[in-house]
Amino acid sequence: MQTKTHISARDLTVSYGEQQALNHISIDIPDKKITAIIGPSGCGKTTLLKSFNRLLDLQDGVRVAGQVLVDGENIYDPGVEKTHLRKRMGLLSQRPTVLPMSIYDNVVYGLRIHGVKDKKILDQAVERYLQEANLWSEVKDRLHSSATRLSIGQQQRLCLARGLAVEPEIILGDEPTSALDPVSAEQIEQRFLVLKNQYTIVLVTHILRQAKRLADYVIFLYLGNLIEHGPAEQVLNNPRYAKTQAYIEGKFIEEPTIHKEITLQKERSADYLTSTLLALDELQVDQVLKVVVDSEPTMNEISKAVELKCHKILEVKRIDLLHWEIIIQKQNVNFII
Amino acid sequence: MNIRQFKETIAHRLMFLLCLFVLSLVFLMVFGLYQRAKPILAVSSMKDLVFSANWHPTQGHFGLAGFIAGTLWVTAIAIVIAVPLSLLTATYLSEYCSRWVREIIKPVIDLLAGISPVVYGVWGMIAVVPLVRDYLMPFLSERLPFFPFASENYTGFSALTAGIVLAIMISPLIISIIEEVMRAVSFGVREASVSLGATKWQTTKWVVLRKASPGIVAAVILGLSRAMGETMAVLMVAGCAMQGFPKSIFDTAYPLPALIANTYGEMMSVPLYDAAVLLAALILFLITVFFNIVAWGILLYIERKEA
Amino acid sequence: MGKLWGKSFDKRKIEENIFKGLMVFSMLVVLGSLGFILVTVFAKGFKALSWEMLTQGPQGGYYIGKGGGILNAILGSLILGIGATFLAFLFSFPIAFYLNLYLKKKSRLAFLIRFSLDILWGVPSIVYGAFGFTLMLFWGIPASLFAGMLTIALLILPIMTRSIDEVLKMIPLELKEAALSLGSTRWEIATKVILRQASSGILTGVLMAFGRGISDAAAVLFTAGFTDSLPYSLFKPVATLPLSIFFQLGTPFPEVQARGYASALVLTVIVLVLSIVSRLLSKRFTRHIIK
Repeated sequence: MQTKTHISARDLTVSYGEQQALNHISIDIPDKKITAIIGPSGCGKTTLLKSFNRLLDLQDGVRVAGQVLVDGENIYDPGVEKTHLRKRMGLLSQRPTVLPMSIYDNVVYGLRIHGVKDKKILDQAVERYLQEANLWSEVKDRLHSSATRLSIGQQQRLCLARGLAVEPEIILGDEPTSALDPVSAEQIEQRFLVLKNQYTIVLVTHILRQAKRLADYVIFLYLGNLIEHGPAEQVLNNPRYAKTQAYIEGKFIEEPTIHKEITLQKERSADYLTSTLLALDELQVDQVLKVVVDSEPTMNEISKAVELKCHKILEVKRIDLLHWEIIIQKQNVNFII
Repeated sequence: MNIRQFKETIAHRLMFLLCLFVLSLVFLMVFGLYQRAKPILAVSSMKDLVFSANWHPTQGHFGLAGFIAGTLWVTAIAIVIAVPLSLLTATYLSEYCSRWVREIIKPVIDLLAGISPVVYGVWGMIAVVPLVRDYLMPFLSERLPFFPFASENYTGFSALTAGIVLAIMISPLIISIIEEVMRAVSFGVREASVSLGATKWQTTKWVVLRKASPGIVAAVILGLSRAMGETMAVLMVAGCAMQGFPKSIFDTAYPLPALIANTYGEMMSVPLYDAAVLLAALILFLITVFFNIVAWGILLYIERKEA
Repeated sequence: MGKLWGKSFDKRKIEENIFKGLMVFSMLVVLGSLGFILVTVFAKGFKALSWEMLTQGPQGGYYIGKGGGILNAILGSLILGIGATFLAFLFSFPIAFYLNLYLKKKSRLAFLIRFSLDILWGVPSIVYGAFGFTLMLFWGIPASLFAGMLTIALLILPIMTRSIDEVLKMIPLELKEAALSLGSTRWEIATKVILRQASSGILTGVLMAFGRGISDAAAVLFTAGFTDSLPYSLFKPVATLPLSIFFQLGTPFPEVQARGYASALVLTVIVLVLSIVSRLLSKRFTRHIIK
């Protein structure tokens, strides 16, 4: 199943001062699907999400390297008009952030700042998007009262309507249901399932069940590293790597103890596959080998070969611009043969 | 009971008494001033004193209206100058400038707040008086004759001069409060606005300033009350000659605090004079306390809501 | 070109740039005024400043241009300021301490006390002067160093208390609890632990209050009076620097006015040094606070 890619990150690295929040993330987010970014808190999920509409630019001392492509255009190009970019993405944050004005003004805020003045268009937009967010019937009689008086669940739906009103192509949700009661959360989730037919939705969530209910595609981040990504079915039910599995099973994620480490540089070890297998042979079953290689094809090739030999790949990680790291756990190979 | 506990008990009681003293200080001040102002209230009614501009102490006329008008006039000028200046500066400090610029600028603005009122007065006399006399007054009254700028007072010691000096004096206070209130506006709402494609200025204008507006009002009120009570600088540059109600910004003005300060020599020699002056102080006190209660009330309300 | 390259110079950008320009302009006006004030006072005051001015009291005929200096005012201001600061501290520290250790965080009494202090902070100094004057009449004391000290102490009480209060608020709760659990009484904590832990922060508040105390003229106008002799008794009038400036400028003689400018320079330097020192102290304090 090959779908169109809407957003893609290429070698994206984000750091706050000294601290790296995201390490060399490369990823494709499919068009008109729900993509869930999962992982323990503080692992760069929100940072990744906010790098998509350049909201990171608001914070002091954030450095972004690499590219984010939206429909093939790099949004970190110097000439990019950020307001145009952001207009194409609606954002729902953890706690609803209603603006200090009436319900009506909240919905049309985005339209007004982009210069729409026609009262008729604004009125229509209010009705249409409040309906789309499933809030119209509850507020249609008090459109001009302050938005802060709504319940928190209603506020979040208002934020959704406000985001939809600028006619974005993408909806970004940063744990949008975490502050809500179960009923309101359910309502928001229902909206997402309907909206995904028209919008590309990217959701940060730390609730695995929510990811299972909604996501078509899952990205698992751990400590700023991209551990695993793929179709939801695969990542959530049949994860490839150890850390993903531990996280999904609710276990403590631990760093494997490395028993042996080898560095393979293409020009020197022509036969890197042999080197890897030889190194594995020296280990006992369940011991762990770390292989550092200097290109993506090499990494792929080694991974494939090692898996063919039925060893277990615990993790594949890009450590810097040039180097990849494969963590392999030796299995009892003879048994299988 | 051992000696340590005894000390503790004594200390506790004493501290409580000190707190009661602070709580009662406002009332003590009202009471003290009122006691001394009573003799004049026995002779003339409050209404006469406040609404009559007939000020002839030797003849027993103590109408304060001229001074009250002077206070309002000078304060209004100061506020008109200080508010845009402070609002724009605070917006820049809170929204636009980088952190290190803010960390340099803020202490410098605080220095401005620490300068003695008398030194402001000195500056006003040396620098602002000539500026008003030689440039602003000729320029404004010739170029904009339709505006009520015309005045017989060509000395440069005027309501406008006092207003300019006061505006600079109260700006640090207004700036620091507005800046604090604006920075307290949650990051979330800014993010929400920006993520809809708003520019920084649109976000500032429609969201941050709007959300901070009660705090801005409080800051302006505090600045206002500070300007009303400022004495020495105004005394030195406002002209302080009683010429009825000020009609032009170039007229002299004689605000209440200046009146109180100016009478320290002759106060005891004219009957009822001291009572009238202390009544003026009482009025000033009540007005500023009222403004401060309103302003701090707003600020505390905001703080509670945020928490 | 893609959808992301919009017109960069649309109307919104123009408006933003106009306002940004206005903001920078306003800030420059405010900062420029500070520069303007300092330059004016330094330029005018430096010329008339002499060693004689700083080391002598006014001689006969000082105010018509004869010899002498403002030592009376400098000493008077310092003594009055130190006395008032000391008096105010006797009140402020216990109150701030009571607010933070004896009362709970959400205590109604603490709220009322803080609110009253904030209100008192906003009361004009001339009103304090007038109130001090009524006290003088009530007790039958003449304008004197003592009456001036008392009035200035009242004037700076709210500033000092609130700033010490803010410093004590920042002391971590654990420290207070730890000391209490060791069996010390609260008063012992105040004098031994907190005073040491927060000393530089408290000193900042004290210096700030002192600065405000010596730069105010309106409050001492009735209460401290003025004299040409050096301060020698608690119950005799005393000269103060701000009033001395005011009187010198009030004379019609240019050379006396020039000395007024020099006096203003002296006062400004004292106040600037005070606020810079207290700022440095508070920086050091925040660096050492236990988190």
